[in-house]
Amino acid sequence: MDQVFEGTPTAEIQLDGHRVTRGHVSNDWGSKLQWVVRRDGKDVATVPARMEATFEHDDKTAGKYEIVLQHFKYVNYRKDAKGDYTESRFIDISNVVSYTI
Amino acid sequence: MLHLGDENVSLCSGIRRRSFLQAGAAGMAGLTLPNLLQLETRGAVDQSKAKIRNCITIFLVGSPGHLDTWDMKPEAPEDIRGGFKPVNTNVPGIDICEHFPQMAKMMDKVALIRSLHHKTGASHENGQRWMMSGHDFTQDSMQPYMGSVVSRVFGPKSNLPSAVILPDKIGNTGTATPHGQEAAYLGSGHQPFFLGGDPSRADFKVANLQPPDGQTEFRINARRNILKELDTLQRRAETNTTIQRDTAYSRAFNLLTSPETKMAFDLTDEPDKLRDRYGRSTFGQSCLMARRIIERGSRFVTVNHFDTVFNIACWDMHADGGGLNNTHKDYEYLLCPQFDQAFTALVEDLEQRGLLEETVIAVLSEFGRTPKLNPRGGRDHYPSAWTNFLCGANIKGGQAIGSTDRIGAAPHDRPILPPQIVASIYHAMGIDLETTMMPGPGGRPIRLIEAEPIMELF
Repeated sequence: MDQVFEGTPTAEIQLDGHRVTRGHVSNDWGSKLQWVVRRDGKDVATVPARMEATFEHDDKTAGKYEIVLQHFKYVNYRKDAKGDYTESRFIDISNVVSYTI
Repeated sequence: MLHLGDENVSLCSGIRRRSFLQAGAAGMAGLTLPNLLQLETRGAVDQSKAKIRNCITIFLVGSPGHLDTWDMKPEAPEDIRGGFKPVNTNVPGIDICEHFPQMAKMMDKVALIRSLHHKTGASHENGQRWMMSGHDFTQDSMQPYMGSVVSRVFGPKSNLPSAVILPDKIGNTGTATPHGQEAAYLGSGHQPFFLGGDPSRADFKVANLQPPDGQTEFRINARRNILKELDTLQRRAETNTTIQRDTAYSRAFNLLTSPETKMAFDLTDEPDKLRDRYGRSTFGQSCLMARRIIERGSRFVTVNHFDTVFNIACWDMHADGGGLNNTHKDYEYLLCPQFDQAFTALVEDLEQRGLLEETVIAVLSEFGRTPKLNPRGGRDHYPSAWTNFLCGANIKGGQAIGSTDRIGAAPHDRPILPPQIVASIYHAMGIDLETTMMPGPGGRPIRLIEAEPIMELF
Protein backbone atom coordinates (compact mmCIF):
# COMPACT_ATOMS: atom_id res chain seq x y z
CA MET A 1 0.00 0.00 0.00
CA ASP A 2 1.56 3.24 -1.11
CA GLN A 3 0.75 6.36 0.86
CA VAL A 4 -2.36 8.19 -0.26
CA PHE A 5 -2.56 11.93 0.27
CA GLU A 6 -5.89 13.52 0.94
CA GLY A 7 -6.96 16.90 -0.47
CA THR A 8 -4.80 19.76 -1.73
CA PRO A 9 -2.74 21.72 0.78
CA THR A 10 -3.24 25.47 0.94
CA ALA A 11 -1.97 28.25 3.18
CA GLU A 12 -2.07 32.02 3.24
CA ILE A 13 1.11 34.00 3.79
CA GLN A 14 1.45 37.66 4.74
CA LEU A 15 4.28 40.11 4.39
CA ASP A 16 5.21 42.64 7.05
CA GLY A 17 8.26 44.60 5.86
CA HIS A 18 10.57 41.83 4.75
CA ARG A 19 9.19 39.33 7.24
CA VAL A 20 6.76 36.71 5.96
CA THR A 21 4.30 34.78 8.15
CA ARG A 22 2.31 31.72 7.22
CA GLY A 23 -1.10 30.71 8.49
CA HIS A 24 -2.39 27.20 9.08
CA VAL A 25 -1.71 24.71 6.29
CA SER A 26 -5.00 23.05 5.53
CA ASN A 27 -4.84 19.53 4.08
CA ASP A 28 -1.26 19.34 5.30
CA TRP A 29 0.24 16.17 3.79
CA GLY A 30 2.94 16.03 6.44
CA SER A 31 5.76 16.00 3.90
CA LYS A 32 8.50 18.63 3.74
CA LEU A 33 7.35 22.23 3.92
CA GLN A 34 9.69 24.99 2.77
CA TRP A 35 9.96 28.68 1.97
CA VAL A 36 11.27 29.47 -1.47
CA VAL A 37 12.84 32.85 -2.11
CA ARG A 38 13.13 34.09 -5.69
CA ARG A 39 15.08 37.14 -6.74
CA ASP A 40 14.27 38.57 -10.14
CA GLY A 41 12.55 35.30 -11.01
CA LYS A 42 15.40 32.95 -9.99
CA ASP A 43 15.32 30.69 -6.89
CA VAL A 44 17.96 31.94 -4.48
CA ALA A 45 17.06 30.15 -1.24
CA THR A 46 14.97 27.31 0.18
CA VAL A 47 14.42 27.26 3.93
CA PRO A 48 12.59 24.67 6.07
CA ALA A 49 9.20 26.07 7.10
CA ARG A 50 7.76 23.40 9.37
CA MET A 51 8.96 24.71 12.71
CA GLU A 52 8.75 28.47 12.32
CA ALA A 53 5.66 30.26 11.07
CA THR A 54 7.67 33.39 10.29
CA PHE A 55 10.73 33.89 8.12
CA GLU A 56 12.90 36.79 7.03
CA HIS A 57 15.40 36.40 4.22
CA ASP A 58 18.61 38.12 5.27
CA ASP A 59 20.14 38.70 1.81
CA LYS A 60 19.99 42.43 0.97
CA THR A 61 21.18 42.20 -2.64
CA ALA A 62 19.18 44.60 -4.81
CA GLY A 63 16.33 43.08 -6.78
CA LYS A 64 12.69 42.07 -6.70
CA TYR A 65 12.09 39.33 -4.12
CA GLU A 66 9.19 36.89 -4.19
CA ILE A 67 8.47 34.38 -1.44
CA VAL A 68 6.13 31.40 -1.56
CA LEU A 69 5.41 28.38 0.64
CA GLN A 70 5.98 24.99 -0.95
CA HIS A 71 5.02 21.45 0.01
CA PHE A 72 6.54 18.22 -1.29
CA LYS A 73 4.06 16.36 -3.45
CA TYR A 74 4.80 12.65 -3.54
CA VAL A 75 3.55 10.97 -6.70
CA ASN A 76 5.90 8.00 -6.75
CA TYR A 77 9.54 7.38 -5.95
CA ARG A 78 10.82 7.18 -9.54
CA LYS A 79 14.09 8.99 -10.07
CA ASP A 80 16.40 9.62 -12.97
CA ALA A 81 20.00 8.51 -13.23
CA LYS A 82 21.12 11.51 -11.19
CA GLY A 83 18.74 10.55 -8.40
CA ASP A 84 16.26 13.39 -8.99
CA TYR A 85 12.54 12.69 -8.84
CA THR A 86 10.91 12.46 -12.23
CA GLU A 87 7.29 12.96 -11.10
CA SER A 88 7.25 13.84 -7.40
CA ARG A 89 8.12 17.50 -6.80
CA PHE A 90 7.63 20.56 -4.63
CA ILE A 91 4.49 22.55 -5.41
CA ASP A 92 3.47 26.08 -4.41
CA ILE A 93 0.68 26.00 -1.84
CA SER A 94 0.37 29.69 -0.94
CA ASN A 95 -0.07 33.10 -2.45
CA VAL A 96 3.16 34.81 -3.47
CA VAL A 97 4.34 37.90 -1.60
CA SER A 98 6.98 40.26 -2.91
CA TYR A 99 9.16 43.22 -2.01
CA THR A 100 11.93 45.15 -3.71
CA ILE A 101 15.33 46.17 -2.41
CA MET B 1 -10.26 -10.18 5.83
CA LEU B 2 -10.66 -12.17 9.01
CA HIS B 3 -11.68 -15.78 9.19
CA LEU B 4 -12.67 -17.70 12.24
CA GLY B 5 -11.17 -21.10 11.69
CA ASP B 6 -12.57 -23.08 8.84
CA GLU B 7 -16.21 -23.34 9.84
CA ASN B 8 -18.30 -23.72 6.78
CA VAL B 9 -21.78 -24.46 8.05
CA SER B 10 -24.68 -23.96 5.65
CA LEU B 11 -27.90 -22.59 7.08
CA CYS B 12 -31.34 -22.99 5.60
CA SER B 13 -31.37 -19.31 4.74
CA GLY B 14 -28.45 -19.82 2.42
CA ILE B 15 -25.92 -17.78 4.36
CA ARG B 16 -22.90 -19.64 5.60
CA ARG B 17 -21.39 -18.99 8.95
CA ARG B 18 -18.08 -18.61 7.28
CA SER B 19 -19.26 -15.96 4.87
CA PHE B 20 -20.85 -14.05 7.70
CA LEU B 21 -17.60 -14.08 9.58
CA GLN B 22 -15.72 -12.95 6.52
CA ALA B 23 -17.97 -9.92 6.50
CA GLY B 24 -17.44 -9.17 10.13
CA ALA B 25 -14.45 -8.99 12.32
CA ALA B 26 -15.34 -12.04 14.27
CA GLY B 27 -11.89 -13.31 14.86
CA MET B 28 -10.99 -10.89 17.54
CA ALA B 29 -13.59 -12.13 19.93
CA GLY B 30 -13.40 -15.02 22.32
CA LEU B 31 -13.94 -16.08 25.86
CA THR B 32 -11.70 -13.40 27.14
CA LEU B 33 -13.66 -12.07 30.07
CA PRO B 34 -13.75 -15.42 31.85
CA ASN B 35 -10.04 -15.75 31.09
CA LEU B 36 -9.45 -12.36 32.62
CA LEU B 37 -11.44 -13.33 35.69
CA GLN B 38 -9.38 -16.49 36.01
CA LEU B 39 -6.18 -14.49 35.76
CA GLU B 40 -7.37 -12.00 38.32
CA THR B 41 -8.20 -14.85 40.67
CA ARG B 42 -4.63 -16.02 40.34
CA GLY B 43 -3.36 -12.53 41.03
CA ALA B 44 -1.59 -12.14 37.69
CA VAL B 45 -3.53 -9.05 36.66
CA ASP B 46 -4.38 -6.54 39.33
CA GLN B 47 -7.00 -4.34 37.68
CA SER B 48 -6.75 -1.73 40.40
CA LYS B 49 -3.01 -1.28 39.85
CA ALA B 50 -2.71 -2.00 36.15
CA LYS B 51 -3.76 1.46 35.00
CA ILE B 52 -1.72 1.22 31.85
CA ARG B 53 -3.44 -1.16 29.56
CA ASN B 54 -3.11 0.48 26.17
CA CYS B 55 -0.30 0.29 23.69
CA ILE B 56 0.22 1.80 20.25
CA THR B 57 3.11 0.41 18.27
CA ILE B 58 4.26 2.18 15.15
CA PHE B 59 6.06 -0.28 12.93
CA LEU B 60 8.43 1.36 10.46
CA VAL B 61 8.35 -1.40 7.87
CA GLY B 62 11.54 -1.42 5.82
CA SER B 63 13.60 0.02 8.70
CA PRO B 64 15.20 3.44 8.92
CA GLY B 65 18.96 3.69 8.92
CA HIS B 66 20.02 4.35 12.51
CA LEU B 67 22.88 6.60 11.36
CA ASP B 68 20.43 8.75 9.39
CA THR B 69 17.89 9.12 12.18
CA TRP B 70 18.31 8.52 15.92
CA ASP B 71 21.95 7.40 16.31
CA MET B 72 23.94 9.82 14.20
CA LYS B 73 27.74 9.73 14.04
CA PRO B 74 28.82 13.19 12.86
CA GLU B 75 32.47 12.45 13.64
CA ALA B 76 32.56 9.35 11.43
CA PRO B 77 33.99 9.41 7.88
CA GLU B 78 31.70 10.85 5.21
CA ASP B 79 30.85 7.45 3.67
CA ILE B 80 29.50 6.41 7.06
CA ARG B 81 27.90 9.50 8.55
CA GLY B 82 25.89 10.33 5.40
CA GLY B 83 24.61 13.76 4.46
CA PHE B 84 22.18 14.56 7.27
CA LYS B 85 23.12 16.63 10.29
CA PRO B 86 22.24 16.12 13.94
CA VAL B 87 20.32 18.77 15.88
CA ASN B 88 20.05 19.37 19.57
CA THR B 89 16.91 18.19 21.30
CA ASN B 90 15.32 19.51 24.45
CA VAL B 91 17.43 16.98 26.36
CA PRO B 92 21.07 18.03 26.65
CA GLY B 93 23.38 15.39 25.21
CA ILE B 94 20.80 13.72 22.99
CA ASP B 95 20.92 14.78 19.35
CA ILE B 96 18.80 13.37 16.54
CA CYS B 97 18.47 13.95 12.81
CA GLU B 98 17.66 17.46 11.62
CA HIS B 99 14.62 16.11 9.78
CA PHE B 100 12.78 15.36 13.02
CA PRO B 101 12.48 18.94 14.33
CA GLN B 102 9.18 18.39 16.13
CA MET B 103 10.34 15.23 17.81
CA ALA B 104 13.49 17.07 18.93
CA LYS B 105 11.25 19.33 21.02
CA MET B 106 9.70 16.43 22.91
CA MET B 107 12.73 14.24 23.48
CA ASP B 108 12.14 14.62 27.22
CA LYS B 109 9.21 12.22 26.72
CA VAL B 110 11.13 9.66 24.66
CA ALA B 111 13.46 6.85 25.69
CA LEU B 112 15.76 5.88 22.83
CA ILE B 113 17.21 2.38 22.87
CA ARG B 114 20.36 2.63 20.79
CA SER B 115 21.84 -0.85 21.24
CA LEU B 116 19.22 -3.12 19.73
CA HIS B 117 20.52 -6.04 17.72
CA HIS B 118 19.71 -9.60 16.75
CA LYS B 119 21.64 -12.43 15.17
CA THR B 120 19.21 -14.54 13.19
CA GLY B 121 19.43 -13.19 9.67
CA ALA B 122 18.93 -9.94 7.83
CA SER B 123 15.55 -10.50 6.17
CA HIS B 124 12.72 -8.10 6.93
CA GLU B 125 10.61 -10.98 8.17
CA ASN B 126 13.19 -12.04 10.78
CA GLY B 127 13.06 -8.60 12.28
CA GLN B 128 9.28 -8.36 12.01
CA ARG B 129 8.86 -11.62 13.92
CA TRP B 130 11.29 -10.52 16.60
CA MET B 131 9.78 -7.08 17.10
CA MET B 132 6.12 -8.05 16.83
CA SER B 133 6.28 -11.17 19.00
CA GLY B 134 9.62 -11.31 20.81
CA HIS B 135 10.45 -14.60 19.08
CA ASP B 136 11.88 -15.88 15.87
CA PHE B 137 10.00 -18.84 14.45
CA THR B 138 8.87 -20.67 11.34
CA GLN B 139 5.47 -21.38 9.85
CA ASP B 140 5.49 -24.63 11.83
CA SER B 141 6.20 -23.04 15.19
CA MET B 142 4.17 -19.83 15.05
CA GLN B 143 4.33 -17.47 18.03
CA PRO B 144 1.65 -14.90 18.86
CA TYR B 145 1.74 -11.20 18.06
CA MET B 146 2.07 -8.93 21.11
CA GLY B 147 -1.45 -7.59 20.61
CA SER B 148 -2.87 -11.10 20.68
CA VAL B 149 -1.05 -11.79 23.94
CA VAL B 150 -2.40 -8.58 25.43
CA SER B 151 -5.88 -9.55 24.23
CA ARG B 152 -5.46 -12.93 25.91
CA VAL B 153 -4.25 -11.42 29.18
CA PHE B 154 -6.66 -8.50 29.57
CA GLY B 155 -9.63 -9.39 27.39
CA PRO B 156 -11.86 -6.82 25.72
CA LYS B 157 -13.03 -3.62 27.36
CA SER B 158 -15.64 -2.67 24.78
CA ASN B 159 -17.26 -3.95 21.61
CA LEU B 160 -14.08 -3.04 19.79
CA PRO B 161 -11.45 -5.68 19.14
CA SER B 162 -8.66 -5.76 21.71
CA ALA B 163 -5.92 -5.87 19.08
CA VAL B 164 -6.06 -3.91 15.84
CA ILE B 165 -3.59 -3.51 12.98
CA LEU B 166 -3.81 -0.41 10.77
CA PRO B 167 -4.10 0.22 7.91
CA ASP B 168 -3.39 -3.32 6.80
CA LYS B 169 -1.29 -6.37 7.51
CA ILE B 170 2.29 -6.58 6.28
CA GLY B 171 2.36 -8.13 2.81
CA ASN B 172 5.32 -8.93 0.60
CA THR B 173 8.59 -7.82 2.12
CA GLY B 174 10.78 -10.36 0.39
CA THR B 175 10.29 -13.89 1.67
CA ALA B 176 7.18 -15.99 2.20
CA THR B 177 7.68 -16.39 5.93
CA PRO B 178 5.54 -15.12 8.85
CA HIS B 179 5.57 -11.46 9.87
CA GLY B 180 4.68 -11.94 13.52
CA GLN B 181 1.26 -10.29 13.38
CA GLU B 182 -0.91 -13.36 13.90
CA ALA B 183 -2.51 -14.86 17.01
CA ALA B 184 -0.84 -18.25 16.35
CA TYR B 185 -1.76 -20.82 19.02
CA LEU B 186 -3.78 -18.29 21.00
CA GLY B 187 -6.49 -18.90 18.44
CA SER B 188 -8.85 -16.89 16.32
CA GLY B 189 -10.41 -15.33 19.41
CA HIS B 190 -7.26 -13.23 19.75
CA GLN B 191 -6.48 -12.67 16.10
CA PRO B 192 -5.84 -8.95 15.50
CA PHE B 193 -8.42 -7.04 13.52
CA PHE B 194 -6.94 -5.83 10.25
CA LEU B 195 -8.54 -2.61 9.14
CA GLY B 196 -8.06 -3.47 5.47
CA GLY B 197 -8.64 0.05 4.19
CA ASP B 198 -6.98 3.40 3.85
CA PRO B 199 -8.36 5.97 6.30
CA SER B 200 -6.93 8.86 4.29
CA ARG B 201 -9.28 8.16 1.38
CA ALA B 202 -12.44 10.22 1.19
CA ASP B 203 -14.48 7.08 0.40
CA PHE B 204 -12.86 5.08 3.21
CA LYS B 205 -14.90 2.32 4.79
CA VAL B 206 -13.63 -0.39 7.08
CA ALA B 207 -13.49 -3.45 4.85
CA ASN B 208 -14.14 -5.82 7.72
CA LEU B 209 -17.18 -3.91 8.89
CA GLN B 210 -18.98 -3.97 5.56
CA PRO B 211 -21.69 -6.60 5.18
CA PRO B 212 -21.33 -8.83 2.12
CA ASP B 213 -22.93 -7.51 -1.05
CA GLY B 214 -26.69 -7.58 -0.75
CA GLN B 215 -26.74 -8.03 3.03
CA THR B 216 -28.56 -5.24 4.83
CA GLU B 217 -28.52 -4.74 8.57
CA PHE B 218 -32.08 -6.07 8.71
CA ARG B 219 -31.09 -9.28 6.97
CA ILE B 220 -28.05 -9.67 9.18
CA ASN B 221 -30.25 -9.39 12.28
CA ALA B 222 -32.65 -11.95 10.81
CA ARG B 223 -29.78 -14.31 10.29
CA ARG B 224 -28.62 -13.73 13.83
CA ASN B 225 -31.95 -15.08 15.03
CA ILE B 226 -31.60 -18.13 12.81
CA LEU B 227 -28.11 -18.71 14.17
CA LYS B 228 -29.43 -18.40 17.71
CA GLU B 229 -31.91 -21.17 17.05
CA LEU B 230 -29.26 -23.33 15.49
CA ASP B 231 -26.91 -22.70 18.37
CA THR B 232 -29.57 -23.80 20.85
CA LEU B 233 -29.53 -27.18 19.16
CA GLN B 234 -25.76 -27.28 19.15
CA ARG B 235 -25.52 -26.60 22.87
CA ARG B 236 -26.56 -30.19 23.50
CA ALA B 237 -23.08 -31.15 22.42
CA GLU B 238 -21.43 -28.08 23.86
CA THR B 239 -17.69 -27.94 24.34
CA ASN B 240 -15.25 -25.18 25.18
CA THR B 241 -14.62 -24.72 21.51
CA THR B 242 -18.26 -24.15 20.70
CA ILE B 243 -18.60 -21.72 23.59
CA GLN B 244 -15.70 -19.75 22.15
CA ARG B 245 -17.30 -19.78 18.73
CA ASP B 246 -20.63 -18.60 20.10
CA THR B 247 -18.96 -15.68 21.81
CA ALA B 248 -17.05 -14.88 18.65
CA TYR B 249 -20.22 -14.94 16.57
CA SER B 250 -22.01 -12.77 19.05
CA ARG B 251 -19.20 -10.21 19.08
CA ALA B 252 -19.01 -10.28 15.31
CA PHE B 253 -22.69 -9.36 15.12
CA ASN B 254 -22.14 -6.60 17.62
CA LEU B 255 -19.15 -5.31 15.70
CA LEU B 256 -21.02 -5.36 12.41
CA THR B 257 -24.13 -3.66 13.61
CA SER B 258 -23.09 -1.41 16.50
CA PRO B 259 -23.18 2.32 15.66
CA GLU B 260 -20.55 2.83 18.37
CA THR B 261 -18.13 0.58 16.52
CA LYS B 262 -18.67 2.24 13.18
CA MET B 263 -18.20 5.62 14.81
CA ALA B 264 -14.86 4.53 16.26
CA PHE B 265 -13.54 3.94 12.76
CA ASP B 266 -14.99 7.13 11.30
CA LEU B 267 -12.51 10.00 11.12
CA THR B 268 -14.90 12.49 9.60
CA ASP B 269 -16.05 13.84 12.96
CA GLU B 270 -12.47 14.73 13.96
CA PRO B 271 -11.73 18.46 13.56
CA ASP B 272 -10.03 19.34 10.28
CA LYS B 273 -7.18 21.05 12.10
CA LEU B 274 -6.45 17.92 14.09
CA ARG B 275 -6.52 15.79 10.94
CA ASP B 276 -4.09 18.26 9.36
CA ARG B 277 -1.87 18.06 12.42
CA TYR B 278 -1.44 14.30 11.95
CA GLY B 279 -0.82 14.74 8.23
CA ARG B 280 -3.32 13.93 5.52
CA SER B 281 -1.60 10.74 4.50
CA THR B 282 -2.35 7.07 4.97
CA PHE B 283 0.15 6.95 7.83
CA GLY B 284 -0.95 10.17 9.51
CA GLN B 285 -4.62 9.28 9.44
CA SER B 286 -3.84 5.74 10.64
CA CYS B 287 -2.09 7.22 13.69
CA LEU B 288 -5.14 9.38 14.35
CA MET B 289 -7.36 6.34 14.04
CA ALA B 290 -5.10 4.49 16.47
CA ARG B 291 -5.78 7.16 19.08
CA ARG B 292 -9.46 7.08 18.32
CA ILE B 293 -9.90 3.36 18.78
CA ILE B 294 -7.66 3.19 21.84
CA GLU B 295 -9.86 5.90 23.31
CA ARG B 296 -12.95 3.78 22.58
CA GLY B 297 -11.70 0.53 24.03
CA SER B 298 -9.11 -1.27 21.94
CA ARG B 299 -6.03 -2.15 23.95
CA PHE B 300 -3.26 -2.74 21.46
CA VAL B 301 -2.97 -1.06 18.07
CA THR B 302 -0.15 -1.42 15.57
CA VAL B 303 0.23 1.08 12.74
CA ASN B 304 2.26 -0.43 9.90
CA HIS B 305 3.90 2.49 8.13
CA PHE B 306 3.99 0.36 4.97
CA ASP B 307 2.84 -3.08 3.96
CA THR B 308 5.62 -3.72 1.46
CA VAL B 309 9.07 -2.44 0.59
CA PHE B 310 8.83 -2.75 -3.18
CA ASN B 311 8.26 0.07 -5.67
CA ILE B 312 7.25 2.67 -3.11
CA ALA B 313 8.99 5.33 -1.07
CA CYS B 314 9.69 3.59 2.24
CA TRP B 315 12.41 3.19 4.83
CA ASP B 316 14.19 0.37 2.94
CA MET B 317 16.89 2.62 1.54
CA HIS B 318 18.91 0.42 -0.84
CA ALA B 319 19.09 3.06 -3.62
CA ASP B 320 19.29 0.18 -6.09
CA GLY B 321 17.92 2.07 -9.08
CA GLY B 322 15.10 -0.46 -9.47
CA GLY B 323 12.32 -1.71 -7.23
CA LEU B 324 14.17 -0.76 -4.04
CA ASN B 325 15.25 2.70 -5.07
CA ASN B 326 14.75 4.63 -1.83
CA THR B 327 17.40 7.23 -1.16
CA HIS B 328 18.19 9.97 1.35
CA LYS B 329 15.90 12.19 -0.72
CA ASP B 330 12.90 10.07 0.20
CA TYR B 331 13.95 10.33 3.83
CA GLU B 332 14.37 14.10 3.71
CA TYR B 333 11.32 15.10 1.69
CA LEU B 334 8.79 12.49 2.67
CA LEU B 335 9.52 9.82 5.27
CA CYS B 336 11.15 11.74 8.10
CA PRO B 337 8.72 14.70 7.88
CA GLN B 338 5.74 12.37 7.65
CA PHE B 339 6.86 10.40 10.69
CA ASP B 340 7.80 13.56 12.60
CA GLN B 341 4.38 15.06 11.96
CA ALA B 342 2.29 12.00 12.83
CA PHE B 343 4.30 10.75 15.80
CA THR B 344 4.42 14.12 17.55
CA ALA B 345 0.73 14.70 16.81
CA LEU B 346 -0.12 11.38 18.41
CA VAL B 347 1.89 12.12 21.54
CA GLU B 348 0.38 15.61 21.88
CA ASP B 349 -3.13 14.42 21.20
CA LEU B 350 -2.95 11.57 23.71
CA GLU B 351 -1.48 13.92 26.28
CA GLN B 352 -4.20 16.54 25.79
CA ARG B 353 -6.84 13.85 26.30
CA GLY B 354 -5.18 12.48 29.42
CA LEU B 355 -4.49 9.21 27.61
CA LEU B 356 -0.72 9.40 27.34
CA GLU B 357 -0.21 8.36 30.93
CA GLU B 358 -2.09 5.14 30.31
CA THR B 359 -0.79 4.38 26.83
CA VAL B 360 2.62 3.02 25.90
CA ILE B 361 3.88 4.13 22.49
CA ALA B 362 6.58 1.98 20.93
CA VAL B 363 8.25 2.86 17.64
CA LEU B 364 9.77 -0.31 16.23
CA SER B 365 11.54 -1.55 13.13
CA GLU B 366 13.15 -4.74 11.88
CA PHE B 367 16.83 -3.78 11.99
CA GLY B 368 19.27 -0.98 11.31
CA ARG B 369 21.04 -0.21 8.08
CA THR B 370 24.68 -0.70 7.10
CA PRO B 371 27.01 1.89 8.59
CA LYS B 372 28.94 2.25 5.33
CA LEU B 373 27.00 3.69 2.42
CA ASN B 374 26.80 1.29 -0.51
CA PRO B 375 28.27 2.38 -3.86
CA ARG B 376 24.92 3.90 -4.86
CA GLY B 377 24.67 5.96 -1.69
CA GLY B 378 22.10 3.75 0.00
CA ARG B 379 22.28 1.52 3.04
CA ASP B 380 21.40 -2.17 3.22
CA HIS B 381 19.94 -4.41 5.94
CA TYR B 382 21.87 -4.50 9.19
CA PRO B 383 20.54 -6.40 12.23
CA SER B 384 23.74 -5.92 14.27
CA ALA B 385 22.72 -2.50 15.61
CA TRP B 386 19.78 -0.15 15.51
CA THR B 387 17.63 2.30 17.47
CA ASN B 388 13.97 2.04 18.46
CA PHE B 389 12.15 4.00 21.14
CA LEU B 390 9.33 4.09 23.63
CA CYS B 391 7.36 6.85 25.30
CA GLY B 392 4.14 7.49 27.17
CA ALA B 393 2.68 5.64 30.16
CA ASN B 394 5.30 5.00 32.84
CA ILE B 395 8.25 5.20 30.43
CA LYS B 396 10.99 7.49 31.72
CA GLY B 397 11.70 9.83 28.82
CA GLY B 398 14.71 12.02 28.10
CA GLN B 399 17.23 9.21 27.99
CA ALA B 400 19.20 7.10 25.55
CA ILE B 401 19.70 3.56 26.77
CA GLY B 402 22.70 1.72 25.36
CA SER B 403 24.99 3.01 22.66
CA THR B 404 26.82 1.82 19.57
CA ASP B 405 30.48 2.09 18.68
CA ARG B 406 31.93 5.10 16.85
CA ILE B 407 30.55 4.03 13.45
CA GLY B 408 27.27 2.50 14.64
CA ALA B 409 28.39 -1.00 13.73
CA ALA B 410 27.73 -2.83 17.00
CA PRO B 411 26.41 -2.18 20.50
CA HIS B 412 29.07 -0.52 22.61
CA ASP B 413 27.30 -0.86 25.93
CA ARG B 414 24.07 -2.32 27.28
CA PRO B 415 23.33 -4.57 24.26
CA ILE B 416 19.61 -5.19 24.01
CA LEU B 417 17.73 -7.94 22.19
CA PRO B 418 14.20 -7.73 20.75
CA PRO B 419 12.56 -9.93 23.43
CA GLN B 420 13.64 -7.37 26.03
CA ILE B 421 11.66 -4.70 24.18
CA VAL B 422 8.60 -6.94 24.12
CA ALA B 423 9.05 -7.80 27.80
CA SER B 424 9.32 -4.07 28.55
CA ILE B 425 6.07 -3.34 26.74
CA TYR B 426 4.25 -6.07 28.68
CA HIS B 427 5.79 -4.80 31.91
CA ALA B 428 4.80 -1.22 31.10
CA MET B 429 1.24 -2.40 30.57
CA GLY B 430 1.13 -3.77 34.10
CA ILE B 431 1.58 -7.45 33.30
CA ASP B 432 3.54 -9.39 35.90
CA LEU B 433 5.81 -11.54 33.76
CA GLU B 434 6.65 -13.80 36.68
CA THR B 435 3.10 -14.86 37.41
CA THR B 436 1.20 -14.42 34.16
CA MET B 437 1.09 -17.48 31.96
CA MET B 438 -0.76 -18.26 28.80
CA PRO B 439 -1.75 -21.53 27.20
CA GLY B 440 1.00 -22.52 24.78
CA PRO B 441 0.83 -25.12 22.05
CA GLY B 442 -1.22 -28.04 23.28
CA GLY B 443 -2.58 -26.02 26.17
CA ARG B 444 0.64 -26.22 28.18
CA PRO B 445 1.05 -23.06 30.32
CA ILE B 446 4.02 -21.00 29.25
CA ARG B 447 5.49 -17.59 30.10
CA LEU B 448 4.57 -14.71 27.85
CA ILE B 449 8.19 -13.99 26.99
CA GLU B 450 11.55 -15.39 28.03
CA ALA B 451 13.25 -12.09 28.70
CA GLU B 452 13.45 -9.44 31.38
CA PRO B 453 12.17 -5.88 30.95
CA ILE B 454 14.68 -3.06 30.48
CA MET B 455 14.33 -1.57 33.95
CA GLU B 456 16.04 1.73 33.08
CA LEU B 457 12.88 2.54 31.14
CA PHE B 458 10.78 2.78 34.31
